Amino acid sequence: MKIDVQSLDTFNKLAHEGAEEATRSMTQMTGIEATVEVTKISLVDREDLGEEFGRETEFVGVQFGFEGALTGKTVLIFERERSSEIVEALVPGGNADESMAQSSVEEIGNIMMSGFIDGWAEYLGTTIDHSPPTYIERTGKDILPGSPDTNERDQVFVFSSEIQWEGENVSFYIYMVPEYEPLTKLMSEHRDEEADAIPVEKLAAFNQMTREGTQRAAENVEMMSGIETEAEVSQISFAPIEDVPKQFGEETYVGTAVEFTGIPSGFLLVLFDEQSAITVAEGLMPMEMESSELTDKHKAAIEELGNIMTSGFVDGWANVLQRSVEHTPPRLVHDMGQAILDPLAAQLGQHQRHAFMIDSKMKTEDLEFESKIHALPNEQELRETLDDLDLDRADQTEANVDQLF
Amino acid sequence: MAEVLIADDSEFMRNLLREILEEDHDIIDEVENGVEAVEVFKEQQPDLVMMDIVMPIRDGIEATDEIKNEFPNSNVIMCTSVGQEEKMKEAVKAGADGYITKPFQKPSVIEAIKDVVPS
Amino acid sequence: MKVYDGSETDSSQEEEPERVKVGIAEYEVTTDSATLTTSGLGSCVGVGLYDTKTGAAGLVHVMLPVAEEMDDGKPAKFADTGTELLIEELEATGSRRRDLVAKIAGGSDMLDFSEGGSGIGDRNIDKVKETLEGYNISLVGEDVGGDHGRSVQLKSVDGDFLVKSANRDDRTL
Repeated sequence: MKIDVQSLDTFNKLAHEGAEEATRSMTQMTGIEATVEVTKISLVDREDLGEEFGRETEFVGVQFGFEGALTGKTVLIFERERSSEIVEALVPGGNADESMAQSSVEEIGNIMMSGFIDGWAEYLGTTIDHSPPTYIERTGKDILPGSPDTNERDQVFVFSSEIQWEGENVSFYIYMVPEYEPLTKLMSEHRDEEADAIPVEKLAAFNQMTREGTQRAAENVEMMSGIETEAEVSQISFAPIEDVPKQFGEETYVGTAVEFTGIPSGFLLVLFDEQSAITVAEGLMPMEMESSELTDKHKAAIEELGNIMTSGFVDGWANVLQRSVEHTPPRLVHDMGQAILDPLAAQLGQHQRHAFMIDSKMKTEDLEFESKIHALPNEQELRETLDDLDLDRADQTEANVDQLF
Repeated sequence: MAEVLIADDSEFMRNLLREILEEDHDIIDEVENGVEAVEVFKEQQPDLVMMDIVMPIRDGIEATDEIKNEFPNSNVIMCTSVGQEEKMKEAVKAGADGYITKPFQKPSVIEAIKDVVPS
Repeated sequence: MKVYDGSETDSSQEEEPERVKVGIAEYEVTTDSATLTTSGLGSCVGVGLYDTKTGAAGLVHVMLPVAEEMDDGKPAKFADTGTELLIEELEATGSRRRDLVAKIAGGSDMLDFSEGGSGIGDRNIDKVKETLEGYNISLVGEDVGGDHGRSVQLKSVDGDFLVKSANRDDRTL
């Protein structure tokens, strides 16, 4: 089954416009002024769905099934901690009565999600029915519906929108997880015949290679710092180019950036939050620093770790494709996340309107430690790379040094 | 005691290599790019170069190629984070005598040096 | 379900001016003393316009220098069309061009991997300045270039333009 940039864009726009329609309904009903920040479509391992919600955060919301040209499940959720503010806005005084609060969440969810689904049906020129909403309360990733197990695919497409309540630190999320087959079939029907096609299977294989690259980068972290590190998620997402930096916000990150050349070319970032950067740098250094501030010594250690993680991440692509992927020496970055991303998005944005973004995350159980890798490949070259990708070689990510020397 | 030149743009990595090597070897200099590596090699002709690949100005494979052309009996071990087979082939072509991938453990560095520069 | 309108839920915050966020490739205009904010400017540029007579204000967050090179129907994404759009939108609220002054921030050259020539940050700044000049709007404050990110707040109560960075002191233009 083949898709293309055109069909990804069309479907991403449908999800975005659907989320905007849902948000308008909410504003009309409640007076809550909110905007849809980012909508993206991601291909992700089924078991990693919703990993971004962490392990402890409790969510409430509504879930529906939908059926027709598209079949699957969708949710509208928000953090439980903020639910009283939201219920108060929906039904002043509604918090006093729990079943009242619940039914108001259900009802608003119902109306919002009708707005979300109707746009799809209209565009596709067909009907999509949805089931009545179910009120849900769950923790972390369990809040998301798994894709229905109609077959053995281990990767699924998910559409996600973040809706921010203006002036309040409250976000709503709409996630839609359609069944894989009908979705890819529809997307391939909405493909521009003239355009360059992307075989979906190869996108999935590339995702799998990325996962192994993340695994290798995690092993490198562990070997160098002694911090037991696990690869958590890797996914490939598609969004308008200006939405790439938007996902990062004002939080400060430390890490490295490189430009890689070859096919594909692009940019690769290794980022740590400030605390994780200090933790991992301490682990790297031969002597104790015991500093709670990020020093130049920490930064030098991070720079080399970033370099090694970058290689670990891209070497697998090079070995599968049997060519070399060169990268520049790492540049150390220490700034607001969004400001780190925007020059890279802008450099790509001179030649493309959308971006594929490859996101990986690694974590450790015992410590407050998290590291993220983000790759932004040139869109056209990624497509060429996928074209050249030999699915039978997709697991040949290792090079054999001993054979050569 | 072999004379060793370390070429790596990362201060952190140079310190790490120095710590591993200085007990048994004489570190004659540390440089940060391929141009400096070639210059220092020509002046001092050490027994061994520990050569990074990704460096600014000139990369380690080009530097190795030039050193090996002029001094075929020199010893160069690539010491790099790059684990790509195509790159390793380029390194072999340039004449590299060994290839250590980062992150490394001390014993593997010692062993690689023993293989290349028998004492 | 009852339909609630905005006035019922919006009760307490009378004194604090409303804050309106402007995302990348977006713009906002206010005529009711709101504070317009945009964050995470790297090579992007935040262009603030302030009407010294009426107190109307506008802010646009542009990403690339010239719309012609990559036209995709999003004028606020580009330095030239974004600045023009902001001027026109302010004029549409009743502002006169001669009463407008401009303050800008951003356009850093951090992580610019392009070799030779000037980077995107510089070109964004040049394009914004050129466009403002073309409309005879004077630039009365700027905090641009360098290699760090910035966030800005344009306070339409007094026209102050507050620039914040991750690792340095705040600056008011």
